[in-house]
Amino acid sequence: MLREKYKDEIEQILSRYPVRRSALLPLLWLAQTEEEYVTEAAMKEIAGILRITPPQVYEVVTFYTMFNLRPVGKFHIQVCKSLMCGLVGSDVLLGWLQARLGISPGQTTPDRLFTLSTVECLASCGTGPMMQINDEYYERVTEERVDRILADLKRDGTSPLKSGPFILPQLAGSEK
Amino acid sequence: MATTTTETVRLTIDGVPVTVPKGTLVIEAARQMGVMIPHFCYHPKLKPDANCRMCLVEIERMPKLQTSCSTPVAEGMVVHTATTVVNEAHKSVLEFILANHPLDCPVCDQGGRCDLQDFSHEYTPTTSRFLEVKRVFPKEYFSALIETQMNRCVQCLRCVRYCDEVMDVKALAPSGRGTMTEIKHFTTHQLDCEFCGGCVQICPVGAITSRLDLYEFRPWMLKRADTVCTYCGDGCHITIQTKGNDLIEVNSAHGAGRNNGDLCARGFFGYHATTHPDRLQSPLLRRNGELVPATWEEALEFVAETCIALKLKHGPDAFAGLIASRCTNEDLYVFQKFMRLVIGTNRIDGSARYGHINGVRALRRVQGTHRWTVAFEDIVGAEVLLLVGTNITETNPITGLKVKEAVKKYNATLLTIEALVPAIGTISNIANLSAHHFSVHPERFGNVVLGLIKAVVEGGLVAQTLTQRAPAYVEAISQTLRAIPWETLESVTGATSQALMEAARAFVAARRAVVLVGQGVLRTPGGFGVATNLLDLLLLTGKHDRPGCGLAPLAEENNDQGAVEMGALAEFLPGPSDLDDRAARERLAGLWKEELPQRPGATLMQILGDARAGNVKALFVVGENPIGSLPRAAQAKEALERLELLVCQELFLTDTARLAHVVLPACSYAEKDGTFTNTEGHVQAVRHAIDPIGESRPDWEILSALSVLMGYPIEYGDAKEILKEIRNLIPGYGLLGPAPATPRSDEAVVERYLREGYAEDVGARYQLTGAGSFDMAQPATSSAESDRRDAGKVKDGLQLTLVVGQTLFHSGKLSTRAKGLMEVQNAGSLGLNPSDADRIGVTDGDRVRLVNQAGEMTTSVRRLDRVPEGMAVFPEHFDEEARRLLTVSVDPVTQVPYCKSAKVRIERL
Repeated sequence: MLREKYKDEIEQILSRYPVRRSALLPLLWLAQTEEEYVTEAAMKEIAGILRITPPQVYEVVTFYTMFNLRPVGKFHIQVCKSLMCGLVGSDVLLGWLQARLGISPGQTTPDRLFTLSTVECLASCGTGPMMQINDEYYERVTEERVDRILADLKRDGTSPLKSGPFILPQLAGSEK
Repeated sequence: MATTTTETVRLTIDGVPVTVPKGTLVIEAARQMGVMIPHFCYHPKLKPDANCRMCLVEIERMPKLQTSCSTPVAEGMVVHTATTVVNEAHKSVLEFILANHPLDCPVCDQGGRCDLQDFSHEYTPTTSRFLEVKRVFPKEYFSALIETQMNRCVQCLRCVRYCDEVMDVKALAPSGRGTMTEIKHFTTHQLDCEFCGGCVQICPVGAITSRLDLYEFRPWMLKRADTVCTYCGDGCHITIQTKGNDLIEVNSAHGAGRNNGDLCARGFFGYHATTHPDRLQSPLLRRNGELVPATWEEALEFVAETCIALKLKHGPDAFAGLIASRCTNEDLYVFQKFMRLVIGTNRIDGSARYGHINGVRALRRVQGTHRWTVAFEDIVGAEVLLLVGTNITETNPITGLKVKEAVKKYNATLLTIEALVPAIGTISNIANLSAHHFSVHPERFGNVVLGLIKAVVEGGLVAQTLTQRAPAYVEAISQTLRAIPWETLESVTGATSQALMEAARAFVAARRAVVLVGQGVLRTPGGFGVATNLLDLLLLTGKHDRPGCGLAPLAEENNDQGAVEMGALAEFLPGPSDLDDRAARERLAGLWKEELPQRPGATLMQILGDARAGNVKALFVVGENPIGSLPRAAQAKEALERLELLVCQELFLTDTARLAHVVLPACSYAEKDGTFTNTEGHVQAVRHAIDPIGESRPDWEILSALSVLMGYPIEYGDAKEILKEIRNLIPGYGLLGPAPATPRSDEAVVERYLREGYAEDVGARYQLTGAGSFDMAQPATSSAESDRRDAGKVKDGLQLTLVVGQTLFHSGKLSTRAKGLMEVQNAGSLGLNPSDADRIGVTDGDRVRLVNQAGEMTTSVRRLDRVPEGMAVFPEHFDEEARRLLTVSVDPVTQVPYCKSAKVRIERL
């Protein structure tokens, strides 16, 4: 149960919002970090915490592609399928991934290493086609780069082809 | 209504100048002048969402097309709804919708009354530019009553918004996003909700339909009858649609009736009770101890002959009659006339005796009315609503919607006194909307009322005018309340004096305050006193004569109010007038051209007592079922077994009818004409939808036929003739208007009450009830104490208060014959607070035994967050076993039998 394990975190999250229901996304994120995906029990518990009904939690979970309703593999590949990436060939990228992994979007490889998803715009429109694997961006992805990334991930658990590390923009005037 | 504005705005729509109130939406302004702007997501009951883009119009000096459903009118606005640009926009929107909408109209139940069909017909060419494959959702089972076909969905979200904004249930989730949004419940679970059918009614296409009539009809095949629902006192307008003599579906048009087109599960899915195969087809006559079919002639002649013989031998007061409030006013009127004139006795009573009479008697006593001085509109328009002892969602769902509307839409302050606690569940819970909720033991709602009154008198909140007008009255109440210290009050209610004071202040500050009192008070000991005290509260705060303020006792049965007004109760003549009211008697005698019986009436419990003692020899029972309604402790069966003649007019062979000497098949509400009077006193027309089942006849016709055979004809051509006679007695009765003209309280009666009436029982009424005994209002504070308490309880079971009450999905025993409702709830289960369930170690579906001195029963458990600790709820519709545990006590004043709760011990099996 989240309530017992993350009592303080939940309190802290709730204290951030004047309207209780606004804490829904952070609580779902908390639930997902706990279990790797959002379980039914977690949705019911969060509904109880926020005094809303489980369907009201469920609709939010299904809206955001960053929430998983089923367990995912070790590497969750999320390919942007929005317009900008589409114009520069995200369908080719997706096709290549499907061929390499032998799975369709929404599926996980039998070795439970990779899960493939298509998602809406990830706000990297200038560098398409792009994808996100777990929390990392991979931009201007080509077939060759996909092969290298998959090999890197299998071998090392990470790939030097990822973008970043990003530095958060400084708040104006906070440092000079 | 809460916001009535006289400010108006002038604008031009399609070249026609029009004046509408400020704040009106363009789409509504257009509708008022007869221009229908196409739309899917807009609905007058819902907040504008503007998601379907269908209602685009051109407004001059605005750069782009505007959604008329979300644009309020402005002075001088010029709107065009039918230009080329607008038509092109409509076409485009439809083209997008039709890119995915399947071409399955031939198998779609909405076909023929589908908005999408109509608009397509009006706007679209038959070709589409989309080459893509249509989206296909995998078919999922949704629920036993509601079917979804998501491929048809236009994603207007009306169903989701209705479920939230109007019903407050929030059971529907638009899952996914974009084109792939589909309406679901919770993951893959089947729908569990109030089953009000609102989503079915509000869906503009065939995406959500009823499973009860799937594929059975085309809309143009159906014959419609506008009538009134018979499942509670709200008196909802329903349209019964039939094919031949089959009931196909029930719905209610937006804006129709007192319910404004909203229904509950009972109204929307409960209509099959009428055509249940168990309906009595012909009269039954007891021959050699067996009930066997007989002809009407045989049956009626037997009754007439036996009656004449018994009357000669024992006199008219050896007869008595009981009638159910499900009958029409016409039935009730003819029944009491039959009993009074043909038989010659006042010994009649009806199901209003189970509780509604407490409210009516309190109103008559204090303010001289027998009806509410408020109407549904006043509930919606109230600033403060006080709900006492009513789980309104489950007993009077549509009155509940008015309360929800007042709170959610117009920000009324809700004060609730109820046993149930706020909790999110699959059905809505009015306590969730409450600003001040007092959760107390079901027999102690009156204590909180005392607390509120104490807060009023001690907080200096008594109206100045009243202090001057009736100083002795105010002083008497203050004095008795002073004798109850706050500490005692706090301990028996579990409410702090501060909370009570705040609630009292909110109540006093409101200009319009309505008090709704439900069965939780009216059907429990002291109900009459609490109802009177609530009127005291209105008097003390100077609200009883203010417009928009008043006490509203909620009737449980659909025509409880009509039974009172038709004089089908022990203490009333039609009007109602008191039985000993000389002027009324003379008027009635003049009209009936016959003297009225002199001897007093007898109430339900007196009749049963007399029957048991052998003093009542013959009993007429019309639709009433004392054996099925009263606990075994009331010994109704023993009483009825002693009768020499028991005549039952019934739809089904009930427990009571099984004992009868003659059973006469009666028509249900769907097969007869007449009127029902709803809880707020609105008299509404009942119209037959189908022909009588079998040989059944309307109740009044049966009585009328009997009267002829007994040589004392009271004959009528049809129900309208009876209503005409009723109108002679009660001028204007049942003239159908848009809303009932609510009566004003009679100042002479109020004056008499303030001067001396109150004094009769002020001391008794202002006493705490149930102090010192088992108390659920106080949860154990220290864990050590609670552990000890828990340990003690678990060893020899847990002591609980069992409350047998109404649930949302049924009404009495009648609805247990409705196949739709049985799909939702087909057996009784015991609702327990999860903590209590944990204490005895049970979870959903586990069997438990309930025991007390009177008997025992076993049942299964359902954990419900809304049930408070220390209480267990069981549906009265399946209470065959539970009735064994209940005790019965009778109100000394109003003779109401109280039999809805018992102390029991619960143990795990």
